[in-house]
Amino acid sequence: MATSTATSSRPPLWRDVRVLRVAFQLAVLVGVVAFASYLYDNLLANDVELDFGFLDQQAGIRLAYTDLHPSDTVQTAILTGLRSTITVALLGIVLTLVLGTLIGIARLSGNWMVRRVAGTYVEVLRNLPPLLAIVFVNAAALASLPPIQEANTIGDVLVVSVSEFGVVTLASDGNGWAYVAVLALAVVAAVALGAWRRRVEARTGAPARAWLWGGAVVLAAAVIGYVALSAPVVLSRPRVEGLSVVGGARMGLPFVAVLVGLVLYTSSHVAEIVRGSILAVPKGQTEAAAAVGLSPGQRLRHVVLPQAFRIATPPIINQCLNLTKNTSLGVAVAFAETMGVTNTVIGNGQPAIPAILVAMGLYLVLSLAISLVANVANHRLRLVER
Amino acid sequence: MIRRSTCWRLAALLVAFSLLGAACSDDDDDGGGDDNGGEEAAGEEGGGGGGLLGEVQDRGTLRCGVNETVPGFGLVDEAGDYAGFDIEFCKAVAAAVLGDSEAVEYVSLDAETRFTALQAGDIDVLIRNTTFTATRDGTERSRFLTTTFYDGQGMMVRADSGYGSIADMDGTTICVLSGTTTELNLATAAAAAGIDYEPLTFDGADEIQDAFIAGQCQGWTSDKSQLAGVRSAFPDSEGGPEGLTILDETFSKEPLGPVVLDGDDEWAAAVDWAVIATIQAEEFGITTANVEDMTSSENLDILRFLGEPIPGEDPEAEATPFDPGLGLDADFAVNVISQVGNYGEIYDRTVGADSALELDRGLNAQYTDGGLIYAPPYR
Repeated sequence: MATSTATSSRPPLWRDVRVLRVAFQLAVLVGVVAFASYLYDNLLANDVELDFGFLDQQAGIRLAYTDLHPSDTVQTAILTGLRSTITVALLGIVLTLVLGTLIGIARLSGNWMVRRVAGTYVEVLRNLPPLLAIVFVNAAALASLPPIQEANTIGDVLVVSVSEFGVVTLASDGNGWAYVAVLALAVVAAVALGAWRRRVEARTGAPARAWLWGGAVVLAAAVIGYVALSAPVVLSRPRVEGLSVVGGARMGLPFVAVLVGLVLYTSSHVAEIVRGSILAVPKGQTEAAAAVGLSPGQRLRHVVLPQAFRIATPPIINQCLNLTKNTSLGVAVAFAETMGVTNTVIGNGQPAIPAILVAMGLYLVLSLAISLVANVANHRLRLVER
Repeated sequence: MIRRSTCWRLAALLVAFSLLGAACSDDDDDGGGDDNGGEEAAGEEGGGGGGLLGEVQDRGTLRCGVNETVPGFGLVDEAGDYAGFDIEFCKAVAAAVLGDSEAVEYVSLDAETRFTALQAGDIDVLIRNTTFTATRDGTERSRFLTTTFYDGQGMMVRADSGYGSIADMDGTTICVLSGTTTELNLATAAAAAGIDYEPLTFDGADEIQDAFIAGQCQGWTSDKSQLAGVRSAFPDSEGGPEGLTILDETFSKEPLGPVVLDGDDEWAAAVDWAVIATIQAEEFGITTANVEDMTSSENLDILRFLGEPIPGEDPEAEATPFDPGLGLDADFAVNVISQVGNYGEIYDRTVGADSALELDRGLNAQYTDGGLIYAPPYR
């Protein structure tokens, strides 16, 4: 009797949510499979074959500011483009996080001027398309910088011209790796020392000063190592020779335009995330911290920022991914990254659809890799709720 | 209850599958129709068949893929109209196929999307300074027709730069238009000259001009015809045309001509003969001005070419116009010549003596004048 009432109270089939759920999913699945097979049939009907053999053919081209040789394969050419993509993405992410955090905090500053300047920066850049930011930086450089023959050299550390830039770098002088090993050991020692100081603090109440002790160890190791290994690293200073920059890190204008354009654009978004996350920490937390006698700096450092950081992480991961994908806009300023190289390769007679599929795959892998790293970090930082 | 619901589900699934199946097989039929259309319509006068020729005639406009940034060849002028050498051939094809040289819908394409647009059927014919190469013929499903312009790649530098040949350009940065064989030719020429260079690959000629003027690159390589076009329009504030030099070296063969999709021979022939008609007209000395008079010419070859009735062997029989079976009107050549002009007229007013480019005929002279422009006989 009980079962029969249950059965009769079931809604009719076309309104039964359990049936509808299954039916809808089946319909979507059938639709997706049918559409994919329709596309594939169309490809075959149009004699377009998904053959990836072209990757092993000779590319026959060069790419600016890389060592790609015309005799290298198409695969090498595309991977060279990928390397440019990764370089500009990683450098861009680091710079974006630093600049975005500074501007986000500046927007909350008590100083009227600082607050307004940061606010204007965010509102202007956040509402532009990223392509415009890149093209603008490029056009500004074209309009204002001198040709390489009259390049500006600023204090032997920076060379600025309309075609190439040079930045001073550290270069190894034989013992470079030994010096790196010494520094790494010093960092390990500093961490161990810091942990010991914290235990001392917990036991005796004497201030830990872990950063002070650790910093002193690393600095001492750096100085002693430098002298002992007889100057293992030297400064590689950029200078102009002929029509190109020699020494230091040599960058073409396309690279700089993409980097600066994307950092300006993305940092405005990161700034908003940072500002919002700080404001999202409940006011009671600050008040409670004040009540136990923490100074304003300590409140920010020990109470507000750790919580804001956790709120900010997921949306900031999104911005990192956006920046990575936006590097493909570099095509507009002749930056030879993955998409640009793929276009070039297609124009030189390689099949378009397989080449685009390769580029899609590379972007997918790159984005997933960044997501993975960021999500692992996010997982470890997350508050364990009890 | 449960059994009934299972039945319902099965029935719904079956209906869904059969609908999908029907939709797919419909598409297959359409595809097959396109492929066979060429043969079916080949014998018919005036088209209306399943091939692209019939499709264009039914539509009433020709979709022509063109360039909009190369002075002399394909450019949108101040009034917003397309003008140039390639554009004239779009008009010639429209005049031959539709009888109206203005019935053209221009589709601006860049170097990378041009073949995709052709393959996708977005355009009927591609006339956009496109070089005929084996790879493009082999892999892009494209068919290259009669060459309209024999070009070659060159290098343009500032006149005061002191570069006399590509061998002087070691260590320079060179601007290249993306997605063209230009990059391959540059790499080969540079290797032959033993120089090192940085190529900057841009999407459009306008961007290259900005970069070149700012000094981001010292050389600008492209087909010489394009360079001549850019040079003719170089801003006076930067020294005008005199401020630029095109080096003498030519480092490639660049035969440029119309391209259609593989597999539709009827359409390919129609486009091809529209182009050939302009060349043949120049050889016969037929111009826009005298084409009406020529229709009463004594020369049988000319009468046949212009679609005038040809008296047969038998004086009793009615004189009929010559029909080579191209699927075009018998007097298509008259339309082409009266509305567009012959090859020499097109050349002179777009890129030759009467234009800003002032290019010599060179290789593009009629074969009778030592050039490569040569029309197969119309008979």
